[in-house]
Amino acid sequence: MRIFEHQDAARSRTLRLVLLFILAVAATAAAVHAALWLCWQLLDALLPLELGLPHRFLAVNIGVTLLLVLGGWWIETSNLALPGGTERLLRRIGAREARPGSSAAEQRLCNIVEEVCIAAHMPCPEVMVLPRVQAINALAAGLDPAASVVVVTQGALDWLTRDELQGLVAHECSHIHEGDTRLNTQLAGMVTGLELVWRFGDQVRERGGLAVLFGSAIMAMGSFGWWAGRALQAAVARQRELLADARAVQWTRSRDGLGGVLRKALTQQQQSAAGAAGTDPAWKPVLQHLLLVSGAAERGGWLAAHPPLALRIQRLYGRAMPALPLQADGAATQPADLTPATA
Amino acid sequence: MATTWWVLAALGVALVWAVWVFNGLVQRRNRIANAFGQIDVQLKRRHDLVPNLVEVAKRYLAHEAATLEAVTRARGAAVSAAGSVRQQPADAQALAQLAVAEAALAGSLGRLMVVAEAYPELKADATMRSLGEELTSTENRIGFARQAYNDEALAYNDAAARFPDLVVARLLGFLPATMLQATQSEAERQAPRVAF
Repeated sequence: MRIFEHQDAARSRTLRLVLLFILAVAATAAAVHAALWLCWQLLDALLPLELGLPHRFLAVNIGVTLLLVLGGWWIETSNLALPGGTERLLRRIGAREARPGSSAAEQRLCNIVEEVCIAAHMPCPEVMVLPRVQAINALAAGLDPAASVVVVTQGALDWLTRDELQGLVAHECSHIHEGDTRLNTQLAGMVTGLELVWRFGDQVRERGGLAVLFGSAIMAMGSFGWWAGRALQAAVARQRELLADARAVQWTRSRDGLGGVLRKALTQQQQSAAGAAGTDPAWKPVLQHLLLVSGAAERGGWLAAHPPLALRIQRLYGRAMPALPLQADGAATQPADLTPATA
Repeated sequence: MATTWWVLAALGVALVWAVWVFNGLVQRRNRIANAFGQIDVQLKRRHDLVPNLVEVAKRYLAHEAATLEAVTRARGAAVSAAGSVRQQPADAQALAQLAVAEAALAGSLGRLMVVAEAYPELKADATMRSLGEELTSTENRIGFARQAYNDEALAYNDAAARFPDLVVARLLGFLPATMLQATQSEAERQAPRVAF
């Protein structure tokens, strides 16, 4: 794997996609104005009255659309920017802080986070565990690198070797180091803003009469903006995943660590597809873009927040690799002292 | 008159650029010092861990006194070598001695862990398992800290060798930073094997 070339490529693609995103927001505002202008012209042609364009028609249309987008973005991001906002969200989905004193697996996890942070020259994030999730997964959250959190599922603690867990943690630390969590939140906020345009159109339409025409026009353009925003947000997320994979290899100097994680996750995905594993937890769709592995990835397409696992494995090894069978790592599941491991 | 102003303006721009390059190089040099400090912190972590490890192992390894003694001796040598480096950070000989002492300590710890493999009760001891994890982590941290130091040294050397920054670096005496060499022997390159 040519790690530095992959990193440069992912970074420049991200930049292009973010510029496209900004263009999409501007295009939505322009499209809303164009659609309303067309509606007005249509009315002008059909009605026997001389309507003429309302005063400052362009400024109001563009202004209101941008106000909705930026307002939605502000509401969405300010919720998480509050002190402890991220932690509250994580606690709501069942995460708790790691307890290195009471469990060998969690002692190992905390040590690994500190090791990777030395390699990455970054401050240590808070470490949390999702104790009731058996799928191998992890996520990084937090808008500020100094107040970030790495969350690892119980499945990752149970099924991964030390080197694999190191690869997983390095991948998540890359998201923090490269500011992906912040970028993702900003883009998600913008997508919410674009969705508000659609909702505004819906509200206008409910008034009935001629408002149905204008409301539908706003809804159609808001819908275009929302889909474009979602597709671009997902494309950015996919590039950041590839960048984080390359970073994990760079910091750990090993492709087998993260490679093992992805190959074991592939096994779980195959089992899940065969109906052997449980269903995804309810919070998964909410945090899809933050996770290491997303179930939706295998369906691929424009809206997948992750590249397919097989593709990521192929990029790591330079060739296709089979899934790895799951084996409980005995070293991690033994208690560190007399207190039994709590899970 | 106009020429004088042009010359003064060019000198001003050159001065601002030189200050900017100088500050960049100083920042990178400080980062190297910081990265080196991190290695020292991790070596101290290893030194602090050894007495606990020996203490726990002693309870089970009655017939392996020589191995335990070798670890203790190697630790003593490493602690004193680290002390010398702290007093004279620029002394190349002290640095070389520290590298040798640390390699010897890593080697003797590795032997202790191999011996411990043969004692199931020791392997099952919860404190020993915990210490084993800490030792593995410490070895990784030392490795990563060395890696981080080399990354910083490489970035500094690149910055100081790039034209035209090279001119400022040469004039103001920014010498190339020494990269830490990989350890020579295969045995030294292996981190102590900890399999609990």
